[in-house]
Amino acid sequence: MPQEQQQRSSAQQDQVVAQQEAQHSQQFQAQTQDFDAVLDDIASVLATNAQEYVSSFVQQGGE
Amino acid sequence: MPQLRTSSTDPHSASQRRRTPLAATSRVTRHAGWSQIPHYSRIFGIETEYGVAVTGANQPIAATQVAMEMFKPVVSRDRSTNTYMDNGSRLYLDVGSHPEYATAESRTVLEAVAQDAAGEQIMARLAQSCQQRLATQYGEHTRVHVFKNNVDSQGHSFGCHENYLLRRQVPLRAIEHELIPFLVTRSLYTGAGRVSGSGKNAYGFELTQRADFLDDAISSATTRVRPMVNTRDEPHADSDLFRRLHVIVGDSNRSQVATWMKLATTHLVLCVIEAACRARALGESSEQDVLRTDIAGDGPFAHLQLANPTEALRQVSQDITGTAPLALAHGGSMSALAIQREYLRVVRDFVRGHSEDTNIAFPQVQRVLEHWQLVLDALASGRWQYLSSWVDWACKLRIIEGLQHRAKQQGHTLNADQLQQLDLDYHDVANGTIFSKLVSSGQMEVLMQDADVQQALHHAPRGTRAQLRAQFLQAVRHTDMRYSVDWTHVQLQEPYSMQAQLLDPFNAQPTAQLSAIMDVLTGKQHG
Repeated sequence: MPQEQQQRSSAQQDQVVAQQEAQHSQQFQAQTQDFDAVLDDIASVLATNAQEYVSSFVQQGGE
Repeated sequence: MPQLRTSSTDPHSASQRRRTPLAATSRVTRHAGWSQIPHYSRIFGIETEYGVAVTGANQPIAATQVAMEMFKPVVSRDRSTNTYMDNGSRLYLDVGSHPEYATAESRTVLEAVAQDAAGEQIMARLAQSCQQRLATQYGEHTRVHVFKNNVDSQGHSFGCHENYLLRRQVPLRAIEHELIPFLVTRSLYTGAGRVSGSGKNAYGFELTQRADFLDDAISSATTRVRPMVNTRDEPHADSDLFRRLHVIVGDSNRSQVATWMKLATTHLVLCVIEAACRARALGESSEQDVLRTDIAGDGPFAHLQLANPTEALRQVSQDITGTAPLALAHGGSMSALAIQREYLRVVRDFVRGHSEDTNIAFPQVQRVLEHWQLVLDALASGRWQYLSSWVDWACKLRIIEGLQHRAKQQGHTLNADQLQQLDLDYHDVANGTIFSKLVSSGQMEVLMQDADVQQALHHAPRGTRAQLRAQFLQAVRHTDMRYSVDWTHVQLQEPYSMQAQLLDPFNAQPTAQLSAIMDVLTGKQHG
C-alpha cells in the first residue's frame, strides 16, 4: 500500500519529482535486463496455436 | 475559491457538520438516521464485464455455455445468476454472457481497488472450477480463459464502468464541458492498450481498448450508441442530494496502480468541479434552492472544452506521444499532454488549499500527484518505456516490441494473430501467463498483497452500507430462510416477511428495521 506522506510545498514537490525521475532512470537501466529475462518466460505464450487462441474468443457485445 | 468545507477532518466523525443551506438541511433531516455527509466525501464503484473463451477442448464450446458453466456454483447456492457476495459486491451474468462483478460501495479509492482485485480472484476461482468440470467432457487440455479486457477478436466491445457519487448541484453541462476533456486525455495513463491496427505506429497499437467503440460524449444509451458518460441516473442514494456519474469510457485495467490513478485523479477533478459549482450556487442564488438549481457558468476547466470529444479520444488513443493537437471548442488546439498538465496544475493548487480535508488530502494524495507528474514528464520526453511498471499500455507495448525484436533477430516476424494473442493473454485472469510473470518478477507494481485481497474477499469497505449488506448476507446464509438483496434493500421473505431500506451509502449504522432483521437472524428475537 502507498505510504502516507506529508503535504509539501511546490518547490519541494518539483525537487522530489526531479529526484524521483533520476531514480527512475537508474532503476530503468537496471530493470531492462530483468525485463529481458521476463520476456523469455513470456515468449512461451507464443508456443501455443495463436490462430486458435484468438478465434476462440467471440462474445456478443455487453453493457 | 471560497473555503466552504467543514473544519473537521474525519469523514467518519459523528460530530461532522457541514455548512448547509437551510433548504438542504431540512432535506437531510427528512430521512431519520441520515448521516451528516461532508463535502468531497464520495462513493466509488467499479463494474467490470469479463469476456470468456475456451481453448484446447476436443469439440467446440460456445461462450454462452462456458459462462453458464462458470456460474453453476452460484446458481446452486442462490438459485440465480444474479447475486451479492459476502463482501457486499454484486456478481452476475450480464447480457451477452459476460460474467460481471460490481464492487461494493467504497469511500476510498484504495478500498475500491482492493474490491476490484477481489473480483479478479472470484472470476479466477469460478473459471478454475469450471475448467475442472469441463475437462471431464471436453478433455484434459481444456482451458477456460477469462479476459478482463474490453473487446473480443471480432470487435465486440464490453465495458468497465466507473461510478462516482456526485453532488446533485453539478449540472450535466459542467460534466460535458469540464470533465470530458479530462476523461479523453487521462487515457495517457489509464489506457490498457490494444493491438487494433488503428494506432499510428509499427504495430497498429493504440493506447485504449475503447476509443474505437464510443460514439458520443454524453447520452442515456449504453449498447447501440456508446457515450463516454452515461446519464442513467441511479444514485442508489437520496436523489435530491446526489446523482450518479456513470463513466463508461474507461478501459479495464490489470495494473492496480492504473486503477488507483484512474479513480483518484477523476475524484480530485470532480472535487474541483463540485467546489466551483457550489461556489457559484452560493454566490448567485438564494439559499433556498441552492442544492437543486443547475446554474450555468464557466468553471475552472471550461477553457479545455473539446470541439469534438469522440474524435479527440481517437486521436489520443492512436498517438503514443500525447502530442497530437486536439481542437478546442473555443478555438485553437492543445495536446493531450498539455490538457493533462492543466488539470494537474489546478488540482495541485486545490489540494494545497484543502490540506485539512481528508477526502481531498487523503493519505496517498501526494503519491497520486507525483505519479501524475511523472507520467506526463516521461511522455513529454518520449520515454514511455519508463511507465511499463504501472501503465498497462506501456507495459504491453514494451512486451510486443521486445518479442518482435527477438523474432526479427531470429529471422522472422510475429504475425497478427500472435500480436493479438499477446494482447489477450495479458488480460486473462484465469490462465494468463504474461501478467502473473510480470508481477512475480517485480516488473509490475502491485498495491494489494495477497492478504489485502483476502481481506477484500470477505469484508465490505468500511464506513458504508455495504457493511450492513455483508453482515446480513453472512448471517442469512447460515439459515435456510429465503431472502433478497439489492443495493438499497435487504429483505427476509420466508418464513418471516421483513424489509430494511438502506438509502444512505455513507451509513454503516444499522437502522431500526435492519436491527430487527439481524435480531431474528442471530436468534435474539423470534419474528
